[in-house]
Amino acid sequence: MELLSLSDFLQNSMLQFWHFTGFYNVTIPHIVMLLVGMLFIYLAVKKDFEPMLLVPIGFGILIGNIPFQPGNEIGIYEQGSVLNVLYTGVREGWYPPLIFLGIGAMTDFAALIANPKLMLVGAAAQFGIFGTYIVAVTCLGFAPDQAGAIAIIGGADGPTAIFLSSKLAPNLLGAIAVSAYSYMALVPIIQPPIMKVLTTKNERLIKMKPARAVSQNEKILFPIVGLLLTCFFVPSGLPLLGMLFFGNLLRESGVTKRLAHTASNAMTDIVTILLGMSVGASTQASEFLTANTLKIFALGFFAFAVATFSGVLFVKIFNVFLKKDSKLNPLIGNAGVSAVPMSARISNDVGLKYDPSNYLLMHAMGPNVAGVIGSAVAAGVLLGFLG
Amino acid sequence: MNKKGIAILLFSLFFAFTAFAQGRRALRINEVMVKNDSNYIDDYGQRTAWIELYNSSYGAMEISTMYLTNDPKDPTKYPIPRGDVLTEMQPRQHLVFFADNDPNKGTFHLSFTLTPGKDNWIGIYDTDGKTLIDQVTVPANLKPNCTYALNQDGESAGDAKFDPSFWGIRDGSASKYITPGSNNVIVDKNAKAANFSKNDPAGIIMTLIAMTIVFIALILLSVCFILFGKISTQSAKKRKAEAHGADSTSREVVAGVESDSGEAIAAICFALYQHLNAHDQEENVLTINKVRRIYSPWSSKIYSLRQMPERKF
Repeated sequence: MELLSLSDFLQNSMLQFWHFTGFYNVTIPHIVMLLVGMLFIYLAVKKDFEPMLLVPIGFGILIGNIPFQPGNEIGIYEQGSVLNVLYTGVREGWYPPLIFLGIGAMTDFAALIANPKLMLVGAAAQFGIFGTYIVAVTCLGFAPDQAGAIAIIGGADGPTAIFLSSKLAPNLLGAIAVSAYSYMALVPIIQPPIMKVLTTKNERLIKMKPARAVSQNEKILFPIVGLLLTCFFVPSGLPLLGMLFFGNLLRESGVTKRLAHTASNAMTDIVTILLGMSVGASTQASEFLTANTLKIFALGFFAFAVATFSGVLFVKIFNVFLKKDSKLNPLIGNAGVSAVPMSARISNDVGLKYDPSNYLLMHAMGPNVAGVIGSAVAAGVLLGFLG
Repeated sequence: MNKKGIAILLFSLFFAFTAFAQGRRALRINEVMVKNDSNYIDDYGQRTAWIELYNSSYGAMEISTMYLTNDPKDPTKYPIPRGDVLTEMQPRQHLVFFADNDPNKGTFHLSFTLTPGKDNWIGIYDTDGKTLIDQVTVPANLKPNCTYALNQDGESAGDAKFDPSFWGIRDGSASKYITPGSNNVIVDKNAKAANFSKNDPAGIIMTLIAMTIVFIALILLSVCFILFGKISTQSAKKRKAEAHGADSTSREVVAGVESDSGEAIAAICFALYQHLNAHDQEENVLTINKVRRIYSPWSSKIYSLRQMPERKF
């Protein structure tokens, strides 16, 4: 082996180090993705768009798009790297059910139990998923399993979207997850115009009857009956629905307060951090900046719009069959998408604009949580048919 | 523990053991070659008869100490040796055993051979040497270099029954390929997705079916809770009537129970508050609540501060 002179040695070492740096390896796609990551953080911090999701995802995008030389167990797709270990939870679908456990432990289903017919609004809004499936298959040429994974964005439920895409189209997971969470953050911008276009002023002023009081027994029965009914229909939804209802039973049973508290606080926070960061980091420029990603974002927007449209329209049609004193305000139709509680808040805000005494929040929470169940059932159906 | 508790425990234990047994029952004989002249070569470069096993379950399965045999009267003819990591079969994994009557060659070399031109019965027994897990009778007319294989991997009559309709002869041709150590049916695409692509290119059928399922699931849930709601309201009426000391069927007393909404309850509470302690002005007194800190040795000053040395005279 030839020994180098000191100057050559220094020159070679510096050159090797230079090749190792991000400055040498950076490409335009990396810069684009870094800007996207910064945009997410900006939207979260300055505009308060879903900060709990967009900060981890945005920073994850920065982590995932620092240029480096492959082969040093650094990247998220390199086996043995720390990021790869954390990403296993996304790839194998561990995180979404854990998040659902927390959602179940946080959610009060009383609004839904008091007025069970609101569940149908949550079901109707799932047309956003299947309408998008049709468009993805027919117009954009996606294979059915890929189309199913993309269409679930219409469920407006990040964990469900990640869970299903990890099973049906793992190669599209990053784009689908980022698209789902981005549009969930943009719900206040997407939904109100559609709600206003579809409703008349009189409909927006409808005051709904206050919900009846719900007994403790009903609240305890709900997760048990809910699990049995939905999972007998769609066993493939078991990981999500099982954990959702389990979390809710912890909350409502009244004897497992510590477990419910941990599930809804510490555990959900930990899993949200890991999920958001690893999903963000999975959007490496080489994997993410493709024509398919643009299509997925377009379909994601379409899915949210159709889901909102079908939810509001369903309430209007449903009202035809209801008695005059039990009519529903169509502004709660948008809450059928399961972006909890964002879309319910939007129902409330839009309602208050037209009548400052018309508080729709609790009424909208019914279809909102029904949307969570509905999208998990829809995911189970897609997994059963296409998985 | 009372009798009821013991009964429930025994019942649970019974089902736990049943579940364990079902794990082993998922082991299948998947493909067999009796005469091997030009086919699969073993790890010694020899061509011998072979038997392929398949773990049809979705969990790993340890098969050591189970038995493979070609004689129903001698169920423990070849005990699968312990201590070999390869005897832990991964989910949906295949494993090939060579019937060369030379077990000294290693774990996967059996202590018996198969006889061409005769029916060959092969069985797997559980570790007790009595429970038959799976069996097959390879027909005498099986030609050299052909295999007798399950038409679909792991799909047989079950319950250790042999049903020839699940089996077929494979000669290595394009549609009847021989696959030692791998799937009998090669799956190169998502069959479900391909079927939807072919039969439902526009996705209409999928949409109709899926929306129907989502609606049915939520309608059933909705109906259940409408019923529960009615029962709950009825029982609330009954309780209220009893609280008033009246007959539960008395209409006069129970009227208005349904109006016990949160708003009505809040109004009643507010009225009571006004009645009992009506005041509009705050007392303008700032109260400093003592913050309760739970004692822990980790935060204790006693343990974290060093004691000052004391001079003793």
